[in-house]
Amino acid sequence: MSGHAVKEFKVTWGMVIDLDKCTGCGACMTACQVENNIAPMADASNKMRTLSWMLVFELSNKKAAPDAEIAYLPRPCMQCGNPACVPVCPVVATDKNEEGGIVSQIYPRCIGCRYCMAACPYHARYFNWEDPIFPKGMEKALSPNTSARPRGVVEKCNFCHTRFMKAKDKARQEGGNPEALADGAYMPACAEVCPTGAITFGDLKNPEHKVHELAKGENAFRLLEKLGLHPQVYYVSKREWVRKLGDNYAATGHAGAEKKHS
Amino acid sequence: MGLDRRGFVKFVVGGVAGTLFTPVIWKGLDDAAIWSQNWGWIPRVPKGEVKATPALSKLCPSGCAVKVKTVGGLPFAAIGNADNPMSKGGVCPICAGGAQLLYSPARVKSPMKKVGEGKFEAIKWEDAEAMLVEKLTSFKGQDGKIAAISGDETGTANEVVSALLSGLGNASGFCVMPGEMYTATKGVKLMGGNGQPGFDIAGADLVLMIGADALDSWGPSVANQKAFAASHPTGAAATAQFIYAGPVLNNTSSVCDKFLAVPPTATAAFSLALANALINAGAVCSASDFGDYKALAAKYTPEAFEKATGLKAEALKDLVARIKAAKAPLVIAGASFGQGAGALDFVAGASLNVLLGRVGQSGGMTLLPAAPKALAAATDRAEAKDAGSFLAQVATGKASPAVLLVYEANPAFALPQADAMAKALGNIAFKVSFSTYMDETATLADLILPAPHPYERFDDAMNPYGVAKPTYLAGKPAMAKPVMDVKDPVDVLLAAGSKLGLSLGFETYADVIKAKAQAVGADFDTLASGGAWTGEGKGGGLSLGAAALAKAPVAKADDKAVALAPVTKLACGTADLATPPANLLTIRDTELKGKDLFVQMNAATAKKLGVTDGNKVKLTGGSGEVRARVHVNEGVAADTVAMLLGFGHSAWDQYTKGKGDNVYKILTVSDEAGTGLKVWAGSTVTVAKI
Ligand code: SF4
Ligand code: SF4
Repeated sequence: MSGHAVKEFKVTWGMVIDLDKCTGCGACMTACQVENNIAPMADASNKMRTLSWMLVFELSNKKAAPDAEIAYLPRPCMQCGNPACVPVCPVVATDKNEEGGIVSQIYPRCIGCRYCMAACPYHARYFNWEDPIFPKGMEKALSPNTSARPRGVVEKCNFCHTRFMKAKDKARQEGGNPEALADGAYMPACAEVCPTGAITFGDLKNPEHKVHELAKGENAFRLLEKLGLHPQVYYVSKREWVRKLGDNYAATGHAGAEKKHS
Repeated sequence: MGLDRRGFVKFVVGGVAGTLFTPVIWKGLDDAAIWSQNWGWIPRVPKGEVKATPALSKLCPSGCAVKVKTVGGLPFAAIGNADNPMSKGGVCPICAGGAQLLYSPARVKSPMKKVGEGKFEAIKWEDAEAMLVEKLTSFKGQDGKIAAISGDETGTANEVVSALLSGLGNASGFCVMPGEMYTATKGVKLMGGNGQPGFDIAGADLVLMIGADALDSWGPSVANQKAFAASHPTGAAATAQFIYAGPVLNNTSSVCDKFLAVPPTATAAFSLALANALINAGAVCSASDFGDYKALAAKYTPEAFEKATGLKAEALKDLVARIKAAKAPLVIAGASFGQGAGALDFVAGASLNVLLGRVGQSGGMTLLPAAPKALAAATDRAEAKDAGSFLAQVATGKASPAVLLVYEANPAFALPQADAMAKALGNIAFKVSFSTYMDETATLADLILPAPHPYERFDDAMNPYGVAKPTYLAGKPAMAKPVMDVKDPVDVLLAAGSKLGLSLGFETYADVIKAKAQAVGADFDTLASGGAWTGEGKGGGLSLGAAALAKAPVAKADDKAVALAPVTKLACGTADLATPPANLLTIRDTELKGKDLFVQMNAATAKKLGVTDGNKVKLTGGSGEVRARVHVNEGVAADTVAMLLGFGHSAWDQYTKGKGDNVYKILTVSDEAGTGLKVWAGSTVTVAKI
C-alpha cells in the first residue's frame, strides 16, 4: 500500500454502475471518445495502443453452455480516495486535491514516464503513442470541452471535468451554491447518454443525490476493495458471481457483507 | 504494488472473456516515442457558443431522437432528447457518434459519374440531374425498365420514390431491403389480421424475446432499453422479467433474467413446443383454429424440444411456470439479426400472444393500422417487393431493368449471397446511388448523387418497427449548411419528376413531410423541435395461424453442417453503415483482431468440428465462403456458429475497408413453404480448418 491516507472532501463525485442493467452497448465509450477528443485509430483492435478512458469489459461466469452467463462492466477512472497513481508521479502531473475528489491529470506537466500507469491496478490510464490524427475535416467536430493531447503524455477519465466547472459556473450565475450542486446538475458524458441508465452519477456525500444511498446498497461493491484505494466508483449487481469477480479479495459472496479494508 | 497488480490481473484473467483490456507493457521504454509537447500538429479545440438542437438521427435503423450539440454552429456531439418518448434521454452508440460521421472519410463529397471500372469523376449537380432525367426519359412508360431499392424503412421518401416509379409506368419496380417489418406484417395477415405488429414492452411484466435482440439491435432499441431500465430500478426489486431465447448470449441476453440458447434453425420449434407445454398446463383460447393449433403443437413434445434446441426439457417447464405466474406476459419473435426469418417464425412466436390472450392488451402485442399517405400514388408499405428476390430475378434474366435507383441502401453488401447480388447489379445498365457514403453499391454505380447526413436534412420516421403505438417523428437540419455538396435525394427526384412532366404535388421533401404530418394529424413544428406524435395501437381478432404453421418445414438434420447465427451489434454498424469512426473502440479483440474476424462457437461444437481457439477456418454456405478465426465462446447455442455482421467491406474508409469478412456472403436463401417468402435465418454452413 502506498501508506497515504484517504483524502476527504466535502463533495465526493462518484458513480454507481448497475451491472445488471448495462447491456454493453458501448454508447458510453463512444460518448466519452467524442467528449474528450480521442482520435479514431485505423486499427482499433490493437488494444495496446487504443485510448479507452471508458472501457466496457466483458465478464464471464466461465460456465459451459448452456449455463454460461456474461455481464458488462464499464470502467472509467475510479477517482480513488487513496490513489496509487498520485504519489508515484515524479512531477505532480496528477493530483487529488480539488473539492469533489476527482484525480486530475495535467497534460502539459506530464513527462510520459508512465509510473502512474504501472501503479493503477484498474488500468484506467493510457499513454499516447501517437499524436491524435483526425481524418481531414473531422477536427471540425472536436468537442470544446477537452484539449487534444500530444503523443508522449498519459491521459485518463476525469469525470468530464469541464462539465463540473460549467455546472459550477451555471450555479454561480443562477445564484445557486456551486459547492452544493443539485443532483443531475453535473453529469459526465457517459452517464448522460447511457440508454439503460446503468450509470448513476452524483455526490456520494450528499444525501439528496441518488448515489448516496445506492452506494450503500446491499449489492454494492467496489473493484478490488482490499487494495484500500477507496474508489469513488461503485458497482451494483444482484449476481453473486459478478460481485465475486469484481471484488475478489474482499468479497465473501454474501449480500451486504461488511466491506473489509486493509 | 505487486499485490495490487496481481489482484487486478486475477480479476481480469479470472473473469474477463474477450476483453478490450489494454495491458501495460512496462518494459523497454520506447525511445522512438519520447514525448514532446511541441512536436507535431495538435488540433486546437473550437470556441463559440454551445447549443443543443433537436434532430432526428436516422443513422440507426429505428432512428434516435437526439439533441445535436454544436459549438459555433458546428455539431460535435449528440445526446438523447429527454423530452421525446422514443429517447427519454438515451441514445444508441451509433447516433452518439453522429457528429463525427459528418466528416467520415467515406462521405461522397459531390456528384460523380463513372468514367471507367472503379473510376469516378466529380461533376456538377446540374449535369448529374440532367443525366438522371435523360435516363428516366428514355425508359418512361416501359414497364419493368425502371426499378428502385430503398433501405429506409420508415421515411416518407419511400412514398415519393414509389409514386415516381408508378408515374413512370413502373409501379411494380419498388423494392425494399430486408427487414422484419415486412415479414411480420405478412405474418399478421396469415393470422387473419391486418397491420404492423407492435409490442408494449413498457407495459409487460414478462418479456420473452425469441430471437429478437430487443435491447440492442431490434426495433426501437433505445425505447426498449428505457422500458427495461424502468422495470429494473437500481437498488430495488425488478418489476418485470426479461427472458431471451436465441442463438447467442448477446447484449440483450447479458442482462436478462434467463437466457435460453436456441439454435437459429429451431426458432419455430421452440415457440411451438412452448405452445404445447402451455396448453398442457391449461392454456386455452377462443381463436377458431385452437383445435388445429393444439393438434399441431402436440407434435412438439418435450423430447422434440430437446432434440431441436439442445436444451433440457426442464428449461421449458421453468419457462411455462414463469409465464403462468406473470400478469402481463409478452412474446416478441424475430430473427436474432433482424432479417431473414420467414413469416412462419413470426407466426409461431406471435401465436403465443394470441394463446395467452395478450393481443391488444396493455403490455401485449398490438396492431398498428397503416398510416395515411402523403402521396396517394405511393405503394403501400407492406406491398413493397423484397430487393433480394428482385435481384435474384435480375441475375437469371427474369427481370431486366435498365435503370436502378438505390436510395439509402447497400444491396451489393447487405443482401444474402452478397457476391451474387453484386454481380446481378452488374446486369443493370444504369445505376444511380443516392448515398451519403461511398459504399459498395456506390462504387458499382454509374451516377452517385451525394445524400445529406441526418443533421443536414429534413427527414421523418413513421412507425419504426416494434413500437407499440403508431408513432411519428420528423426532423429538420441541425446545421446551417451541409458539409459536402449534397442535395436531398427526394428533392432531386421531385425535380426530375417535374421535368418528366410528372407533378407529384410537391417541390421539396420538407413539403412532403409537412403534408405527411398533416395527414397523420401531427404538428410538424412540434415534431421538428423534438416532439413525437403517437396514436393508439389496436387489438384485433387474430387467429393462431394454425393453417400457415401446418406448412412449417421440419428442420432437416445435416451432420456436416452447423447452424449459422449472424449477429448484429448496433455499435458495429448497420446494413447501410460501416462501423463509424467513433464506434471502433467498442469492437472487442475477440470479435475482430487486425483483419481477422472471429467465428464464435462453444467448446462442444469446436470439438465436433475438430477446431480449437485461434484456428483459421473457412465457412462455406449459400454461394460463397468467408474466412475467420475460431473463438471459443460458451454463449453460443449447440451446433451453431456465430459471426458478427457488418465486416468485410471493400469500400468505405481506412477504418473499415478490408477488415474481416462479409457474413452476408454465406447466407443461404430458400423459399418458405406456404408463404413464398425468401428466408435465410436458418442458414447452415460447413466449417473447415485452413
Ligand atoms: S452506455 Fe450504458 S448500457 Fe451501454 S455500455 Fe455504457 S453503461 Fe452499459
Ligand atoms: S466521466 Fe467522462 S471522461 Fe470519465 S469515462 Fe465518463 S465520459 Fe469518459
